[in-house]
Amino acid sequence: MATAGGAAPPAMDDKARRTRDLLASFYNTDPSAAAAAAPSPARPSPTAASASPLDSINSTSFDPDIYMNVLVQQSNLEGLLQRHVKMAAEIKNLDTDLQMLVYENYNKFISATDTIKRMKTNIVGMEANMEQLLSKITSVQSRSDTVNTSLFDKRENIEKLHRTRNLLRKVQFIYDLPTRLNKCIKTEAYADAVRFFTGAKPIFEAYGDTSFQDCKKASEEAINLVMQHLQAKLYSDSEPIEARAEAVVLLKQLNFPVDNLKSNLLEKLEDCLLNFQNDPTQASIGDISKTFRAYLIIFPDSEKRLIELAQALFSNRYETVRENLRKRIPSIDLLAMLRSLWEDSTSIDEVIPEAALPAFSLETTRDIIRQHIATAFLHLQNEISDVLVRTPSTSNEKLEESQLQTAMETSKIKVLQGCIDLLQEFHRLIDGNTELLVKLRDLIIDWVQEGFQDFFQKLDGHFHMLSGRSKSFSQESSGMESVQIDKVSTALVLMLAQLCVFIEQTAIPKVTEELASSFSGGGTHSYEYGPPFVPGEICRLYRSSGENFLHHYINMKTQKISKLLNKRFTTPVWIKHKEPREVNMFVDLLLLEFNGVVSEVKQILPGLIRRHRHSDSTGSTTSSRSNPMREDMLNRSNTHRSRSQFLENHLAKLFEQKMEIFTKVEYTQESVISAVLKLCLKSLQEFVRLQTFNRSGFQQIQLDMEFLKSSLKEFVDDEAAISFLLKEVNNAAHERCLDPIPLEPPILDKLINAKLAKIKDQSPNMQ
Amino acid sequence: MQGGSSGIVYGGLKYQARCIADVRADAGSTTFLAGTLSLKEENEVHLIRLSPAESELVCDGLFYHPNEIWDLKSCPFDHRVFSTVYTSGESYGASVWKIPELYGQSNSPQLEKLFALDDHMGKIRCVLWWPLGKHDKLISIDDRNIFLWNIDASNKSAKVISQGSADMLPNLRGGAWDPHNHNSVATITDSSLHCWDLRFMKKSNAIEHAHFRDVDYNPKKQHIIATAEDEFGICLWDLRMLKHPLKNLPGHSHWTWTVRHNPEHDQLILSAGTDSTVNLWFAKVGTDESGPESPSGSPTREQEPLLNSYTDYEDSIYGIAWSSHDPSLFASLSYDGRVVLESVKPYLQRK
Repeated sequence: MATAGGAAPPAMDDKARRTRDLLASFYNTDPSAAAAAAPSPARPSPTAASASPLDSINSTSFDPDIYMNVLVQQSNLEGLLQRHVKMAAEIKNLDTDLQMLVYENYNKFISATDTIKRMKTNIVGMEANMEQLLSKITSVQSRSDTVNTSLFDKRENIEKLHRTRNLLRKVQFIYDLPTRLNKCIKTEAYADAVRFFTGAKPIFEAYGDTSFQDCKKASEEAINLVMQHLQAKLYSDSEPIEARAEAVVLLKQLNFPVDNLKSNLLEKLEDCLLNFQNDPTQASIGDISKTFRAYLIIFPDSEKRLIELAQALFSNRYETVRENLRKRIPSIDLLAMLRSLWEDSTSIDEVIPEAALPAFSLETTRDIIRQHIATAFLHLQNEISDVLVRTPSTSNEKLEESQLQTAMETSKIKVLQGCIDLLQEFHRLIDGNTELLVKLRDLIIDWVQEGFQDFFQKLDGHFHMLSGRSKSFSQESSGMESVQIDKVSTALVLMLAQLCVFIEQTAIPKVTEELASSFSGGGTHSYEYGPPFVPGEICRLYRSSGENFLHHYINMKTQKISKLLNKRFTTPVWIKHKEPREVNMFVDLLLLEFNGVVSEVKQILPGLIRRHRHSDSTGSTTSSRSNPMREDMLNRSNTHRSRSQFLENHLAKLFEQKMEIFTKVEYTQESVISAVLKLCLKSLQEFVRLQTFNRSGFQQIQLDMEFLKSSLKEFVDDEAAISFLLKEVNNAAHERCLDPIPLEPPILDKLINAKLAKIKDQSPNMQ
Repeated sequence: MQGGSSGIVYGGLKYQARCIADVRADAGSTTFLAGTLSLKEENEVHLIRLSPAESELVCDGLFYHPNEIWDLKSCPFDHRVFSTVYTSGESYGASVWKIPELYGQSNSPQLEKLFALDDHMGKIRCVLWWPLGKHDKLISIDDRNIFLWNIDASNKSAKVISQGSADMLPNLRGGAWDPHNHNSVATITDSSLHCWDLRFMKKSNAIEHAHFRDVDYNPKKQHIIATAEDEFGICLWDLRMLKHPLKNLPGHSHWTWTVRHNPEHDQLILSAGTDSTVNLWFAKVGTDESGPESPSGSPTREQEPLLNSYTDYEDSIYGIAWSSHDPSLFASLSYDGRVVLESVKPYLQRK
């Protein structure tokens, strides 16, 4: 051990293990199993071959010779000596362990023997005790049996008595029931009454026909009274809600048809609501909302019905508002209505939020306001068109002085004032500070802007329809309008033209300004195409419409005159014309037409503009008249050397004519009148070109033109252009004449003077 | 606009003139016939040819015509044959002429009169050849009647096959022969347009209450016509839907006298009138219009149909003619006798 003490701890472990193994094998009945088990977890040997004989020292298959041989072969002397010492120590250890084990076993054996000895002595006295116990128990059992049999009869009696007593108590209760119920009624303890009655009810049901009949009747009467009381309580609005709710519960317990009651009550409520609807002064919304709350508590299952009722109430009320809308009520009134409705809806909403009344109200209010705005615009449009249609139709034939003018002014004022009124109306809509309007403000602004955009566009379309120009419009709205088209008065078209200008130049800037000042913001919709009201676009629309109408007016007029001229030039045989004796009738007709134009134009269009004409005419009529002609002649003479002098002149004049005839038409009296005149004279020239004249025909034309020349002076300032065109007509007649010899100036003068005198004679008669 | 600065001017007509016609049968070059309208002088018919270099218009022949010419149409299948309507004093006449062989010399030989259409009593308005080619019929219109002639150029004779009367209508003004159907002719009066079926000489359908000066069939699309209006513009119509025009194109400041479709590109339309302006239009009609216009409406509508306005004229224009040899060219004739040849190529390329 001393030598092994210096060895490493694994050596110690080795030793301990071996010792344990040895001991195990010692106790084990099957050494082979121990041997098989022991070496298996053996420590890993450095070399299996060499270790096996050395390690097998503890196994059953240990061969001392081999062990010795191996040991001797493998180890040197020192090693052998060490092994010897180690082995001797182990042997000694084993010996002592063995001795210890033997000793311990021996001790155990001795103590066991002692115990057995003691047990033997104790058991001997027990037998007698047990027998004693048995006899006692038997005696107890017999005695208890005797007691039991003696008491049996009495016990049954007692039980029967007890049952009887219980029954009697119940019967007593039932007989007492009516009085008790009455007592309850007196104290208004309906809950107790109901409890009692429901307790007794099964008995009444089972034995009601027998001796309990009276009692049953009495108690039923009492309970009916209770029911009546309860109903009364339910119906009376003065009772606290809880009491009413309790009454309902009690009634329900009494199998009373509560649903009937409920529907009755709800019908009552409906009536009440109807009254409220018809005459809001009768009840306040506060009462109604209280009632709603009460019913909600009283009949918890009636919520759905109540929601329906509330919704019906509000949709009906909004319907009335809508009806009012058709009557075109002012915005203020509308707003008041909507506001009170909104407040009502919020107060009801506190009671039954499930009805979603505010959302409904908001939605409906939005619709209504939208509709309101739309109808307002529609009305304005109708009013404007009324003004336009009414006035010219009365003044169609006899053009009374300044009647058109007043019509024009009225329609102008109507448009402007209408727009401004609308704006003010709408302004009131967004002015309020109520919650409702704050929510809708942006939307309203958008609608107003949208409305104006739409309104102006529609108005433009309507103008086109009125003028009968737009065929597409007449296609869309067939029937009535298409009839109108045929008798569109020219004055109306001219008024439309002027109105377009007015709208473009006055109304739209005004509206834009107003919109900008009070209807800015908005834009809750993200408009892809910018803000809803685009004044530029509208202006453009009206500018072009205005021009269209103006041209249309001129067209209509020239068409009419053109027909006149056509008849004049196609009917007579010009080549066999007789010598001119007087100015032809058609000149009168022509002048009449011109007069019509002038009278219309003078009343409707602004009458300017002297300076305009002067600045223009100095440039074009006198100086430029000669200049371009000469320049032209110089330029052209190179290229067209072969021309005759006549054509050269002709050409030069035509060049000048081109400058003057087809100028841009402006919205002035002069411009329109001269445009009509020029176009008519141009037509006259073209008609002349299509004919062939003899000398007299030519002279007739010459005479007519000469007369026109003096007459037309009063119509138009642009004298140069007119006289030039008249000369053109003369030239054309000259060209188309087989024998162009003009009338002698004296004869010409004489004939014209004769005509003038005739007119003078007629005019006093006419007036 | 830039006007006629690009145009080639032919100044050979010495008198006023109303009529110019494209010589359709001449496949080799751009040729026009123009006739003068002079009451007192001797009238002329000019054969105008575009020089091969396309730089100037030359007079290829000058023929005296006995009376002033109100209408002149070239025979669509024989480039030497043409028809005229003429007046002398109060009498009207219509004839078909043949240009004599020139043999190099161009000093005014006499025209050969093939035959005269002399069954007319009233004022003859125009003579119509079937526009697309050889057809042995001819139509003449006077202010009351419409005549269908059977012509025989070799025998130099013409016979009236049938005759239709306009009855109560206002005076007829002119007409056009449907290139898609040689039984159909459109005539115009002061206030209406009528279509005639030549087989029965009956009017079939009509446009009322409009003031027409001229009518022209679309050469490519059947049933489509263009009319020139007194109301300062042209209209396009579908003959199956006469209530409203397909398109209304206002653009003249006085009467629109004449309207012509381009023989190749039927969307190109020329109009000319007494405001001394020739307008070139680009107007799509019919099936290809309804397609793109409905979905993307505004952009196509926004497109300005007026391609150009030629304003460099000194007097009213009564005659225009597209060249069928080169459809990008047209000639216009103003009353002062000036023929201007213009090319529409710059405006075509812009499309």
